[in-house]
Amino acid sequence: MTNSIKVERAKRDLTQADLAKLVKVSRQTINTMEQGKYVPSTVLALRLAKVFETTVDAIFTLEDADW
Amino acid sequence: MNSKFLFHNKYKKWGWLIFIPTAIASFIVVAWEVSPAWLDTKVFAIAVDEIFGDSKSFSFIDNNILNEILGVLMILSGLLLAFSKEKDEDEYIAQIRLSSLVWATYVNYAVLLLAFIFVYDLSFLWVMIFNMFTILVFFIVRFNYKLYQLKKSASHD
Repeated sequence: MTNSIKVERAKRDLTQADLAKLVKVSRQTINTMEQGKYVPSTVLALRLAKVFETTVDAIFTLEDADW
Repeated sequence: MNSKFLFHNKYKKWGWLIFIPTAIASFIVVAWEVSPAWLDTKVFAIAVDEIFGDSKSFSFIDNNILNEILGVLMILSGLLLAFSKEKDEDEYIAQIRLSSLVWATYVNYAVLLLAFIFVYDLSFLWVMIFNMFTILVFFIVRFNYKLYQLKKSASHD
């Protein structure tokens, strides 16, 4: 699964720490998600979408390996 | 992992403060067979099977309670240390917690399996005694190492 968290974050000029505070997780969790090392829960994915004012689909994309 | 089964973060500090001195004291007690007379007392035993004595149940017996005190402190402080929330406990840390618990259980039983096959008699009794605490110790070491790695990798970005 790939995601555009880093891009969306940059668009809004947010630091990892800012975004962490907004979606109520640690900065390390934002970091591991951006590196693709961690796939968030549905709740966290929805929170991210809400903060970025977009949909979960727009942030996360399935890859062949996910099937 | 549901965080309602975890203690408040402030107890982690108490876990360290009690666990480390207790672990050191326990090694000293075991190595030098320390058994101070002032801790000899009567205790209530549900079951006791003395090596050169009778089998009794639900009765009072004479015992030195130093090892009981250390064992209780070690288990309670180990639980606090292992299962107190991190300051920033979130779903990713919960995942590290769960994977560390699975890892610790596998390692603990791998060690026990080897001991079952290669260690006998009184030596095996020692393995059993250590095995009471090793699952907690393996978990604490692995979980805190993974947290350290996480913090280190995040600080580079």
